[in-house]
Amino acid sequence: MRPVSIIGAGMTKFGRSEWPLSKLMSVASLAALHHADLGDVKVDGVVVANMGAARLNRQTAIASALVDSLNIFPATAESVENGPASGASAFKVGYQAIASGMADVVLVTGVEMMRAVNNLEATDFVASLSHPEAEYIYGVTLPSLAGMFARLYMERYGVTREHLARVAIKNHDNAMKNPYAHIHQTVTMEGILTAPEAVVNNPPIAEPLHMFDCCPVSDGAASLVLASQEVAEKLGRPIVRIAGIGQATDTHAVQNRPDPTELTAVRLAAQKAFSMAGITPKDIDVAELHDAFTILEIAESEEAGFFKKGEGHKALEKGITSLGGKLPINPSGGLKAKGHPVGATGVAQLVELTWQLRGEAGERQVQKAKNAFACNFGGFGNNVVATVLTREV
Amino acid sequence: MGNDTKVYGIRCKACGHETYPAHACCPKCASEALEPLEIAGNGKVLTYTDLYALPLDYEQRYLRLAIVELDNGLRATGQLLDENPKIGKKIKTVIGIVRQSGDRKIHGLQFIPV
Repeated sequence: MRPVSIIGAGMTKFGRSEWPLSKLMSVASLAALHHADLGDVKVDGVVVANMGAARLNRQTAIASALVDSLNIFPATAESVENGPASGASAFKVGYQAIASGMADVVLVTGVEMMRAVNNLEATDFVASLSHPEAEYIYGVTLPSLAGMFARLYMERYGVTREHLARVAIKNHDNAMKNPYAHIHQTVTMEGILTAPEAVVNNPPIAEPLHMFDCCPVSDGAASLVLASQEVAEKLGRPIVRIAGIGQATDTHAVQNRPDPTELTAVRLAAQKAFSMAGITPKDIDVAELHDAFTILEIAESEEAGFFKKGEGHKALEKGITSLGGKLPINPSGGLKAKGHPVGATGVAQLVELTWQLRGEAGERQVQKAKNAFACNFGGFGNNVVATVLTREV
Repeated sequence: MGNDTKVYGIRCKACGHETYPAHACCPKCASEALEPLEIAGNGKVLTYTDLYALPLDYEQRYLRLAIVELDNGLRATGQLLDENPKIGKKIKTVIGIVRQSGDRKIHGLQFIPV
């Protein structure tokens, strides 16, 4: 396979968008294309990541629509729907197109416009990825799966609501330094946990998880320009090499996992990505993990191999995962505060890491970052894509 | 309660392995010769949650959901009807209306204390 690099990254601000879906996609795509500054080099193909435009926005075949809007005919166009892992899946498709030699330059854009419907509809839309007969009919939603996971995990490993709140506080702090984040609001331990008014400020969603343990419902788009090493070198751009991609699946119904506190697909996807990259978790300088719920940042930090099982919350407590710590996790604010437009998320994680590796992350820049890791978590862990990026000097 | 409201998994006719929910082939030996297996009996609560952010179709203060492990080793997700839930607490399955979507009443597993 040929080496593939990321040569451009861009995104829209996440949050509530007044724009139509097509404009969200094109604004993020143009930002990435301007960042790549392709000159005479043509885009061979477009891959769009999206989970719900057919249902939420009554629009299908949106990759073709993006080619039209950017006027980059006759570029190839595909959409990838892989639940909340659509973003990294689309990225993988773009990688494969270039690595195989079928394309030299591919635009990967993730988009979701979830606030086109009310919260009840948006929650039901995401819940439709659960097992239809064994989960969905009982009223299972993603927060309820996360709540059941968290209760067992907390009991077994001594994780408390205070640890979960620390994830929220850290990621909200990071998002304050990210102009693209959905939520620009700091939160305190008093405000969301210990003060009497915390009961009102932070109501239960799926016990033991409360509102500030859950990501918001967001609109947004994120985009990457991928190129063969040859094109990247010809253009003379800083080279962020796609060093490893790993993907793994797990049982559809969460109940069927031998140990329901294990996220086996995260572990396997990360192992594959590290093995392909030829490095280990110790070599990683910065990571974006899929913290749709605070508990997931802790659990994924262990399954990915950064900390031993049951010790992720201790690393968090020591500040290891904060900006300035040894392994900053979710400098972007994560899904928790940057927001989670589901189809865009996996791409947005890699946009953040590209900026980090190029030294373009502004106030939230992780110093001397060379190797970066992302975990895009689909379903409730039944389809996970892990990516390792490396800055080549 | 008519037969149509029961919940079924599968039993493999080749190796006897039981699984729920149903799969296209046996997860253990890959045989496609499968027969229905009623999911019912006693067990214990593995984990549970009180879901306050209610899904579509529900009008109540919260929905108490659980994953249980039955005495035969099979696991099931369903609604926990217990005022004092606890991990490890013994339950038994009953069939009830678990969701009402318009005029359509959906039957499924509920768990009550033994």
